[in-house]
Amino acid sequence: MRRVAIIGCGQSKHGRRTDVNQAELVAEAVWAAIEDANIGPEDIEAYAVGNMQGFGGICQPDLVFADYIAAGGKAMQRVATGGTVGGSTAHLGYYEVASGMYDVVLAVSWEKHTDSAEPGATTGLLHVAFANLSYMMKIGMDMRSFAIMGLAGAAAGISAYQAAFYMARSGCRIEHFDMVAAKARRNAAKNKYAHLKWPNCTPEDIAKTEMLIWPMRFGHVCPASDGASCVIYANEDAVRRLGVKEVAWVKGVAAYADEEADQGESYQGTAVVDYSDQTGAILSAKKAYERAGIKDPRKEIDMAEIYAPFPHQELMFSERLGFFDDGTAWKAVEEGVTEIDGDFPICPSGGVNTTNAIGSSGMQRVVEAALQIMGKAEDHQVPKDVRNAVAHAWGGQVQFNTVMVLGDRPKGW
Amino acid sequence: MGVDRYSGLPFVARFRWNVGKTMEKFYRSFAEKKILAARCEKCGYTVVPPRQICPKCYSTISEENLVELSGKGVVESLTEVAFKLDGKGGYIWLEKPELLAAIRLEGASSTIFARVEGEAKVGSEVEPVWAEKIEGKPSDLISFKVVE
Repeated sequence: MRRVAIIGCGQSKHGRRTDVNQAELVAEAVWAAIEDANIGPEDIEAYAVGNMQGFGGICQPDLVFADYIAAGGKAMQRVATGGTVGGSTAHLGYYEVASGMYDVVLAVSWEKHTDSAEPGATTGLLHVAFANLSYMMKIGMDMRSFAIMGLAGAAAGISAYQAAFYMARSGCRIEHFDMVAAKARRNAAKNKYAHLKWPNCTPEDIAKTEMLIWPMRFGHVCPASDGASCVIYANEDAVRRLGVKEVAWVKGVAAYADEEADQGESYQGTAVVDYSDQTGAILSAKKAYERAGIKDPRKEIDMAEIYAPFPHQELMFSERLGFFDDGTAWKAVEEGVTEIDGDFPICPSGGVNTTNAIGSSGMQRVVEAALQIMGKAEDHQVPKDVRNAVAHAWGGQVQFNTVMVLGDRPKGW
Repeated sequence: MGVDRYSGLPFVARFRWNVGKTMEKFYRSFAEKKILAARCEKCGYTVVPPRQICPKCYSTISEENLVELSGKGVVESLTEVAFKLDGKGGYIWLEKPELLAAIRLEGASSTIFARVEGEAKVGSEVEPVWAEKIEGKPSDLISFKVVE
């Protein structure tokens, strides 16, 4: 496998983007990345593109915007793995360069939730969920009870169970979720691309918001954003040939699923009882660290961008990814360890909790981790030296995970 | 047994796509019977409907580079359609086949597709047919017709 570096990063402004259509939104991130890498579109050989199919109400959107992003006459492949799609698309771009198939590859993913006529992402979620799961009618499950039981709460409904499981397992309290959410909003206020910004937000501010689905308050829930994120990869020779100065090296990637589908096939249940187990995250992290040559993640990794639409997930995944022992992350939060200026900053960008354009979110974790390594995160750059960083994504039917380890030097240097 | 429709679900789910600033302007100017195109400052390629990025050289096309076309055009290619959908899953055979054409509007580099009225053939000159009541919506531009 060849050494691969990220040579350029681009993001659209995230939020309610009624001023652009999907193609223009994607182009915003793509051209920003091309400019960041200081290369021309002619240098890009292949495109990996991804989004959560159907959420924006356009099937196969990649078919209509190739000539907005200079992909005409180039290799182009689409990925769709649900919430993980940004992570999976980032991995595909990496595979294409690491394998030797192409030298320079652009990976972009996005979501446009405001094309839903109902608030938030409701339309997209329902269209996809019902289309994918209507086979349940075949086994006699009527659509109405199905909707109330599983999907009325959508991802928040599923995550509420997970949060409750996590609380029972770890002993953490809702106040800890308030702390994580307040940190996310404070950090987002420093990030010009973020959606929900709240300078000086305190846990008490979050605690005042309404309880929606116990144990989740309104102030715990991510927004439905529009946005696109993009990275450009190059192999070692291309980095030299193109004269790129600032890069982040990809040291290891891994992606695993577990059988933790939310209700299981046809609601018959799954072998996983505790939704906060997240075996897929544990396996992904283990393999990615092994590939990156990382033995002690807590010591060797300097910061992480975790895919956590809801605050309990930042705690839960930071344990599954090996940064804290099982059930102890809330203690680290109490001590300020995960703050932007803490010993182990998590989501200094504000993370998915403050900006969630689903397809973009996984890629944005990679972008943000790369920016921290290159020292280009501007106002939300962590003060500590970042030599290794982790970008994580979570999705599928809540059971896929992707992990990418980035570093300021290639593996083995 | 098939199921047509479920009633009593606790929600509705519809899409409402944003077309973006440039396309918004394109449709809005239908209210003045205008057809706008985007002319690339760098390479001169003129695309209709207009867009923010040149499909030829990928330069950004700003709003100042939107140009008004005369509306007249030439049929580049066409096909005859013998039936239409009835909205219930069936077909209605047309008494007279309708013509659908690829039209290159005067001043444009790209073509658009539209229904054409009259005895059109490749090379025919056509002009737009506007609805009686125009509101700045896609439905304002009904079709094109052959210039007598």
